[in-house]
Amino acid sequence: MDAPVLSTAVDPTAESYARYTAEHEALVADLDEQLARARAGGPEKTRRRHVERGKLLPRDRVNTLLDRGSPLLELSPMAAHGLYDDEAPGAGIITGIGRVAGRECVIVANDATVKGGTYYPVTVKKHLRAQEVALHNNLPCIYLVDSGGAFLPRQDEVFPDREHFGRIFYNQATMSARGIPQIAAVLGSCTAGGAYVPAMSDEAVIVREQGTIFLGGPPLVKAATGAEVTAEELGGGWLHAHTSGVADHLAADDADALRIVRSIVATTGQARSTAAPAPVEEPVVDPDQLYGVVPPDSRTPYDVREVIARTVDGSRFSEFKAEYGQTLVTGFARIHGHPVGIVANNGILFGESALKGAHFVQLCDRREIPLVFLQNISGFMVGKEYEAGGIAKHGAKMVTAVACARVPKLTVVIGGSFGAGNYSMCGRAYSPRFLWMWPNARISVMGGEQAASVLATVRRDQIEQGGGQWSAEQEEEFKQPVREQYERQGHPYYSTARLWDDGVIDPKQTRNVLGLALSVAANAPLEPVNNGVFRM
Amino acid sequence: MAHAQQAHRRRFDTVLVANRGEIAVRVIATLRRLGIRTVAVYSDADADSAHVAAADTAVRVGPAAATESYLSVERMLEAARTSGAQAVHPGYGFLSESAAFAEACDREGLVFIGPSAEAIASMGDKIRAKRTVEAAGVPLVPGSSSPGDSDERLAATALDVGLPVLFKPAAGGGGKGMRLVHSPDELEEAIAAARRESRAAFGDDTLFVERFVTRPRHIEVQVLGDSHGNVVHLGERECSLQRRHQKIVEEAPSPLLDPPTRERIGEAAVRAARAVGYVGAGTVEFIVSADAPEEFFFMEMNTRLQVEHPVTEMVTTVGRDGAEASGGERRDPPNGLDLVEWQVRVAEGEPLPFGQHELGTSGHAVEARIYAEDPARGFLPTGGEVLRVHEPSGPGVRVDSGVRAGDRIGSDYDPMLAKIVGWGRTRSEALRRLDDALSETVLLGVETNTTFLRALLEHPSVREGELDTGLVERELEGLLTGGPSAPPDHVLVTAALLRLSEVEPSGPRADPWESLLGWRMGGRAWLDWSFDVAGERVTVEVRGDSAHAEVRVRRESTSETSPHRARLFRRESTATVELDGHTRRYHYALAGRTVRLASAEGSWALTEHTLLSDAAERSGAADGAVTSPMPGTVLIDKVAPGQRVSAGQALFVVEAMKMEHTVTAPVDGLVTEVFVTAGQAVELEQPLAVVTAQDERPSGE
Repeated sequence: MDAPVLSTAVDPTAESYARYTAEHEALVADLDEQLARARAGGPEKTRRRHVERGKLLPRDRVNTLLDRGSPLLELSPMAAHGLYDDEAPGAGIITGIGRVAGRECVIVANDATVKGGTYYPVTVKKHLRAQEVALHNNLPCIYLVDSGGAFLPRQDEVFPDREHFGRIFYNQATMSARGIPQIAAVLGSCTAGGAYVPAMSDEAVIVREQGTIFLGGPPLVKAATGAEVTAEELGGGWLHAHTSGVADHLAADDADALRIVRSIVATTGQARSTAAPAPVEEPVVDPDQLYGVVPPDSRTPYDVREVIARTVDGSRFSEFKAEYGQTLVTGFARIHGHPVGIVANNGILFGESALKGAHFVQLCDRREIPLVFLQNISGFMVGKEYEAGGIAKHGAKMVTAVACARVPKLTVVIGGSFGAGNYSMCGRAYSPRFLWMWPNARISVMGGEQAASVLATVRRDQIEQGGGQWSAEQEEEFKQPVREQYERQGHPYYSTARLWDDGVIDPKQTRNVLGLALSVAANAPLEPVNNGVFRM
Repeated sequence: MAHAQQAHRRRFDTVLVANRGEIAVRVIATLRRLGIRTVAVYSDADADSAHVAAADTAVRVGPAAATESYLSVERMLEAARTSGAQAVHPGYGFLSESAAFAEACDREGLVFIGPSAEAIASMGDKIRAKRTVEAAGVPLVPGSSSPGDSDERLAATALDVGLPVLFKPAAGGGGKGMRLVHSPDELEEAIAAARRESRAAFGDDTLFVERFVTRPRHIEVQVLGDSHGNVVHLGERECSLQRRHQKIVEEAPSPLLDPPTRERIGEAAVRAARAVGYVGAGTVEFIVSADAPEEFFFMEMNTRLQVEHPVTEMVTTVGRDGAEASGGERRDPPNGLDLVEWQVRVAEGEPLPFGQHELGTSGHAVEARIYAEDPARGFLPTGGEVLRVHEPSGPGVRVDSGVRAGDRIGSDYDPMLAKIVGWGRTRSEALRRLDDALSETVLLGVETNTTFLRALLEHPSVREGELDTGLVERELEGLLTGGPSAPPDHVLVTAALLRLSEVEPSGPRADPWESLLGWRMGGRAWLDWSFDVAGERVTVEVRGDSAHAEVRVRRESTSETSPHRARLFRRESTATVELDGHTRRYHYALAGRTVRLASAEGSWALTEHTLLSDAAERSGAADGAVTSPMPGTVLIDKVAPGQRVSAGQALFVVEAMKMEHTVTAPVDGLVTEVFVTAGQAVELEQPLAVVTAQDERPSGE
C-alpha cells in the first residue's frame, strides 16, 4: 500500500509523556494482576484435588487442545469480576478462540474447580457469547464439559428466559444446521440439562471412569425410584460408548480425549487459506510509545492519529475527507496485512462528522473492507444551533450505516464511551464482531460529572420550586455519590464483569488483538449490502 | 594355477564390482581413475545407493536378501556377461572368499581379481591352512595334538610349550573342561580336573594342550603377490580393538612391534603367501601376546582386500619414498600405493615393479569404523533413514563411505557405514586427527557408534598403544559413560528452538494466528518442549520467537531456574544457537517429532513428548505396544489375535545380523492385534503386535 506514512508530534521528553506512561503502566499492571487471578481458577485445594484425580486443569486442557504455539484469543477472561462474592473467577468457564488442527475454533471449557463448574448467570451469558462469536465468524465449537449444570440458588436468573440455559442447546442445533461443527468432550460431570451439550453435539467424546452423562444423578434416581446405582453405571463412558450411544468416542483420559477432539476437527473440512492478504509490516512509529501519547483521562484532548500510527501496518494511513468534519478521523490502512477502514473519534461529534462517518462506513461496506472503530466519544454536540441543524438526523444516518454494515466491525473503546456516541461508534448494541476496552476507558450513558450536574440541576429546581434553599455544600454532597456511582459502573472492570465487552486489553496489544480478530472474521462469508432508510 | 600362467599383460576395459557399500564405492573410484569402465551391481534394497551412482553402469542382481543377490554366483556371472565385463572385483565379504565363485569366473573366462580358487580353498580350510604354513616355517601357537597322551606326557608338553597353557577337551566346546594353568605345580591337579569334567560332559577325556596367549593382540600383515612369483609385504596393521570379535579400530604400523620383529613377521607373512602361490592382495593374521611381543603365531590368512586396508595405503611408501625413514618431514600422508590399483594391475598380468627393499612406511594411520549400532545396547544394529551426512575433511583425513542422505539402513547387510582414517607423522598426531575427523562426522537419522569410538580413542591404554583384543569389552562400562545419554542444556535448548522454528511462519504474509506464537491476553505464554532424557523428562520452556527467545530448562530433579536469553540462527543444515552469549553450532535434521543434533561434543536424537503424543502412543498401541528392538526379520511368531498372554511371555523372535532377540509381552492381557508374520522384515521400533490389558468394564455389569 502506498498510503502516506503517519509521523508523530509527540515529545517523549515532555513531562506529560512520562506521567501518562506511568499511569498506563499502573493500569496495565493492575489488569495483569486481575487476569492472573482469574486465570488461576478455583481455590488451591480444589485445584489440587482435581489434578490428583488424574484430570487436567481446564486451562491445561485448553492449552493441550490447541495447536502448538497457537494464540488463544480469550473472551471476557474477567467475567464475573466483583460478582458473586468473587467466588467465580472467570465465571467458572474459559471461552476463547484458538487454532485446533489448523482451524480456528471457539472453545468453551468448564472450570470444575469453580463451584463444580456450575452455571451462574454470567456463566450462561459467557457461554452464549462464545457461541455467538462462533456463529458470526463461522467457527467450529468445542465444548470441554465438566459441569454440574445450573447454579441452583440462582435458578431464576439462569433457567427460564430467552437468553438463559436453554439457549445453549438452541444454538447448538441451529449452528449445526448451518454447518458449524459442534464437538463435545465429556471430561467430568455433565448432569441434567448439561447432558444435552454432548447429546446435541455432532460428535462427542467421553473419558472412561471420569466423564458421566445423565439426566438425573444417583441421588435423584434413588429419590425417584429407590434404586442405588453408581455414577459410572448410570452414565459412565463405557455405558455411553457401548450401550446408549450418547457418546461416539471412548477416551482413556483427558489427553486422549483432547487428541480425539483434534482428530475430529481435522475431519471437519478444509481450513481456509492462512496467508495474510498482504505482507505484514510493523508500525514505523514506535508502538512502545503508546502509553506516553494517550492521556489516560478521556477528557484531555489529543490527536487520535497518534494511536492509529502505532497500530496500523507501516504506520500507513490513507485518510478520507481529512479536511471535513475533523472531529472524526476516517481512512484506510492495514493491520497484520488485512485491509481495514478506521473510524476514530478526535473530539465531539458534529453533524458534519456524523455525515462523514456515515459516508465512510457505507464506502467500506461496499468495498468489503472490515471496519475498526476507535471509540473515544463524549457524545454529539448539543445546543440550539445544532439541534436546528438536524444533528439528530445526521447522527441517525451514521447509526443506520453502522447498524446495517455487514462487513466485520471491530470496536476498541480507547477512552470515553458516552451516550449516543456509543451508538454511532458501534457500541455493543450494534453487534460488532468483537468489542474490547482499554483499562483507562469509561462507559456510561454520560460522564459522571455531567450526570451529577444534570441530576443536581433537576434537584435544585425541585427544591427551589418548593421555596427551599440548597447550599453549594449540600449540592456537592448530593453530587458526590452520583459521581462515585458513575465512576464505579463506568469502569472497564465493571463492564467486562457483565460481558458488555469481550475483554479489557493492554493498549499495546491492540494491534495484535485486532489482527487475530480480523483473521478470524474472514472465516464468515458476507451478506449482501442492504441499508435502512437514511433520514436526509 | 591359471593366474600364474597369465604371462601376457592385457588391459581390462570393463570391470564388474561384485559388492556394495563403501568398498564398492572405493573400488569403483580406483577403477575409474585407471580409465576402466565400471559396472556396479545392486539388489532391490540398493537401487538408489551411492555405489550405483558412482559406477558408469549398474545391473540389478536380485532382491534385498543377500543370498539371492550379492551372494548369488549365477546372478553375478550373468551381470558380468550382460555388461561385457572382463574381470570381477569381489571387494570383501560376500563372494570375495568363495573358491567356487573364483572357479566359476575362470570357467566363464572372467578374471577374478584375487588369488586362485585353489589358494582361496587352501586358506579357507583352517586346519589345512595351518599345516601348509607350518611347513613353510611360519610359527603356530605351540601345543600338542596327539591324542592318547598320558597325564605325564601332557604335563611335559605343557612345560615344552611354555606356561601359561590351556588344556582343552578334544571332544569339547563351550568352555567345559577347559583349564588354564599358570605355574608347574598346578599341572597335575588341573589335568585331572579337566579330564574329569570332559568325561562327565562329553564321555571322553582326551585333552589337548596349547599355549595360552595372554593379553592377545591381533596383528596382521598385508601381502601382495603377482603372477610372476613375486611376493612382498606392506608392513603390518594392528587390529586389537574389537567388539564381539569384530574390529572397530585399526592402525598401521602396530605400536607393539620393534623393528626386528616387524621384519620377521613380514617375512613370515610372505612365506605363508608363497606357500599357496598367492596372487593379489591378501592378509596374514597373527596373534601376539602383549607380554611377549617378540613372538607371533599364525592364525589365518584372508585371501582378499581387508576392510582396514586404507591404513596400509596411507603409510606405505614406494621407491625413493621407501628410503625415507618414517616420521620424516612429510606433513601429508604419502599415499604411495593404491592396493586396489595393484590388485587390478596384478590381475592384468603386470609384474610388481618394486622389491621389498623399495617399500617403506611413513607416519602412522588409524582407522575407525562407523557402524549403525548402539554400543549401549550390546552393539545391537540400529537402522533408519539417513537424513543428513557430513563427512570430515582436512590434511591427513581419509573417508571411505557408502552412505548418502536419503539411504535407508536396514538389516539386510552389514551395518558398517563408513571408515574414517587419520594419518599423522606420529601415532599421537594420527589419533588426534582421527578424533577431530570423528568430531566432524555427522550422520543424522541413524544411531551410530561415533561417540563410542571417540571415547575409545581417548582411553589412556589406547593412547599409550597398550592394546589387546579384550580391552573394549573390559572397559565397556567406562567407554559408554559420557556417551550421548545426557545432552547438556545447550543441546536441549537448540532442540526446542528448532522445534519452535518449525511452527513459525516463513515469509512476510504471515497470519497472526501463526506469527503470534503463544499469544495470550496479558502476555505471551511459555511454550513447553519436553524430551525424555536418560530416564528423566526434561522440559524446555520457551517464550518468544526462536530468533529472540527466553528459555528455561526444567528437570524433574531441579527446581525452576531463571530464564536465559537464547537465539537461533537456522540455516539449511546447521543451527547456530546463542545461549547467554555463548554460541555453538550443530548439524541438525528434523523428522516428525524428533530433532537430531550433532556437534563435536556428540550427537543426539531428541524426541519431543507432549500430552497428546503420549496419548496417541498409548491409544495407538493401547496398553502394550510390542515393538521390534532392532531392524531385522521376524524368525518366529508365537501369537495370534485373541490369545491371552502373560507379561514376559515370548511373542516373537526377531533376527538380525546373526543375533536373535526374543520379544515378550509387556503386560498380562489379550493380544488384540498382530501386525507381522514369520519371515517378514521389520524396522527398529516397528509395532509387531498389541497386547491390551484386561478390559475395563465397570464392575456392575
